[in-house]
Amino acid sequence: MTLGLFAALLLAQQPSYYTPEEAQALFREGNDAFYKDPPDYAAAKAAYLKLLEHGHDGADVLFNLGTACLANGELGPAVLYLERARKLRRADDIEANLSIARARQGDQLVGGAAVSEPFLERVADATDDDAVSIVSLASLWLTFALVVLFRRLLPGRRTWVAFLLVMSIITAAVSTTLVGIDAWFATHYVEGVVMPDTARVREFPGDTARVAFEVHAGLKVRILEESGKFVRIRLTNNLEGWTEREGVVPL
Amino acid sequence: MRRIGRSLAAATVLLAATASAEVEFYQTVDRQKVGTEDTFHLTIVVGDAPEGATVQFPAPNDFEVLQRSQSTQMSYSLGTGNQGVIKRVQKYTLTMRANRPGKLTIPPAALATAQKTYKTDAITMEVVKGRTQADAPPPSSGRPPGFVDPFQGFFGDDDPFAGMPQLPHIPDPDVPRSESDLFLRATIDKDTVYAGEQLNLTLHIYSRVELSSVDAVTMPKLEGFLSEDLDSPTQLAPEQRIINGVPYRSYLLRRRALFALKPGTLTIGAAEADITTGMFFQGHRVHRKGNPLTVTVKPLPKEAAGFVVGRWRIAAEASQTTVQVGTPIQVRVAIEGRGHLKSAVMPKLTGPAALRIYEPTTTDKTVITHGTLGGRRVQEYVVLPQQTGTFVMPGLNLQFFNPETGRIEESKTDPITLTVTPGAGGANFAATPSPGAPAEGPKNRLEAGGLKQLRHTAQFGEASRPLWQRAWFLPFAAGPFALTLIFGAFGLARRVAGATDPASEKRRKARAARARLAAAEKLKRSGKTQDFYSEVEKALYGFLEARLGEPAAGLTRDQLDKKMTDAGVSEAVRTGVKSALDTCDMGRFAPGMGDAHARASALDEAAAAMEAWDAK
Repeated sequence: MTLGLFAALLLAQQPSYYTPEEAQALFREGNDAFYKDPPDYAAAKAAYLKLLEHGHDGADVLFNLGTACLANGELGPAVLYLERARKLRRADDIEANLSIARARQGDQLVGGAAVSEPFLERVADATDDDAVSIVSLASLWLTFALVVLFRRLLPGRRTWVAFLLVMSIITAAVSTTLVGIDAWFATHYVEGVVMPDTARVREFPGDTARVAFEVHAGLKVRILEESGKFVRIRLTNNLEGWTEREGVVPL
Repeated sequence: MRRIGRSLAAATVLLAATASAEVEFYQTVDRQKVGTEDTFHLTIVVGDAPEGATVQFPAPNDFEVLQRSQSTQMSYSLGTGNQGVIKRVQKYTLTMRANRPGKLTIPPAALATAQKTYKTDAITMEVVKGRTQADAPPPSSGRPPGFVDPFQGFFGDDDPFAGMPQLPHIPDPDVPRSESDLFLRATIDKDTVYAGEQLNLTLHIYSRVELSSVDAVTMPKLEGFLSEDLDSPTQLAPEQRIINGVPYRSYLLRRRALFALKPGTLTIGAAEADITTGMFFQGHRVHRKGNPLTVTVKPLPKEAAGFVVGRWRIAAEASQTTVQVGTPIQVRVAIEGRGHLKSAVMPKLTGPAALRIYEPTTTDKTVITHGTLGGRRVQEYVVLPQQTGTFVMPGLNLQFFNPETGRIEESKTDPITLTVTPGAGGANFAATPSPGAPAEGPKNRLEAGGLKQLRHTAQFGEASRPLWQRAWFLPFAAGPFALTLIFGAFGLARRVAGATDPASEKRRKARAARARLAAAEKLKRSGKTQDFYSEVEKALYGFLEARLGEPAAGLTRDQLDKKMTDAGVSEAVRTGVKSALDTCDMGRFAPGMGDAHARASALDEAAAAMEAWDAK
């Protein structure tokens, strides 16, 4: 335990590849390449990717990288990085560029039951993970404290404690359920983005299996399972099939 | 025998009718006023001319005869007394042109018969220098009167139809030995063409006998060609031809423009026709089959693949070159020339993003000039300037393969420079109108929809995992449950272990007494006075039993006092306890103790006695 703590402290104190000033300068370098006339999207992408490779992550870098890919016509990476930025921090500009990317995406999903996302998925998507986690913890401990207090008070003086206790129990139940939903989706609901311009989706995990349909760069899919070099994907209209793992990058 | 007799009778009637008819002879012109560069038509009409009559055409010195054609019409009708009347009208059409300006006279034409010579009237023409054709309204402009065409003079002087030959002369056909009196011949004006180049297929009947009608014409299958009809006369118009010294009448049946689709040797099959010869009741029907033809089609050069074939030119013009922002302008792009118009592909008008260019409307007009197919395609674009500034729409380039020169040629337009000035109020952007309804006047528009700008600074950090994924989260969340369980278990264990412990029993009874007092508090505001005081008394006795270790109910005040004294209870506490018990007794039996104030006092007294005992 002590050793583990020591190692963690050492790791935390290791200097990163770039100093904050260097990282910020590289970030600006990417921006300048993007906005110069004519734009050099490749240079902009290279700068942002360097930051990611050396641990200088964050929604800002991911957003700029996704936007540079989108401007350069690389739909798959554009959707991937923008979705990753969106996962870290929701913002209007991310949503706007994502909607442009979706509009350029070549697949039109027709039919199927799940034209919109399932209710629980939407709940999980709309929930701020950290906020509900904190509320859940606080309400659980508050409930415990109120139970203790309730037991210590004389029967005639427990009314306000009882009221607070009920409120606290409800809050704890709701917030803990939301945390549970988030955790379930995070562990059982893996999404990915199609990267190549065209990816064949087969009916069975094998090179000789019949091609059921094709998907194109930038399509967000759900990854259900893996088998060898194939992954089983499901589209939002419930269409399913197997495609090569390297063609779908998890979010 | 009966048949011969009927024919003779009919011939007699016809001869009688012809002999009795009056000769009709006159000449007319289609225009009285012409220019020296104009052509006009002089038509000489001869009706019911006797056999052997000859027409002497006018030979004016001031006019030049460019072309002469002849047609014959015959009609049959019932005259007076149900007598058949045949009318034969011959029309001679001379295409003429004046040699000089002034008032010129076309002399009379003459018709010489065995009996007499007929003459027409002379015609006086007013001839001016140059052309008068332009003064005449265009045959079909398609525009309402008064509309000024902003694209007048659209194409320069480079007329693709200029220098085009007249209709090609049809060479003398080979006369078949077996059907020399009446035969069908198809001819083509070229036997070697490029793919996509026009060639004309003409079908004639050559006859030395009188024709009544052509009942059916079956054209050959034109496989490998695109075919466009150039001429399909509805009436037979004979033309005199001398073939190998033998006079024939030739009748044009069909004229088609063909465009070969692929290189190679293509065959055009033989046409067929059902023809009725002779006059009226004596006619009989014959079937004639024409001749097949072979065409050699040369491929286009590789560089010309996909180009339109022919001779074309392109022009582009904007209705305005200086415009306020948000005001739509019209840009007209047109191609014109010879060739297959339907196969022509026009270059698309492009421009900078500041100019919104809507999809054009396209109008095609096919033109046949001297047997050559061509036409004009006009595309009209609506261009909406979105921002102020000077913008250039690049020139358009139309490449085509000219079969006459055998080379790829091109026609270009100049770039169109559009100066966009601010709208009302100095607006630099325009509102987006619907394509069909241009904006009413200039309006501001700030166009959104592009990519959002990059973020200019970054906050770096590793992608953080949500709190619930941290290692400490689950233990921390489970903490309250665990502690509750632990405390619960501890309490349970203590309760089990302390079941025989007198001290524990005392504490339990004391808690029970306090609970009873709390229950009595609920009765404080109820109307049950006796119940309230009884409950308070029971709580007190319960408390005493817990603290003294033996039941206190039923003891007299003295016995109780002695027990409390033995237990070391102070005088003040003893007094308080006894006072509280007395209050309960009074409350149960004495009137006036039922009010709320008295009850609260009793409750406070009992609680105070208990707390004083525990505080000792």
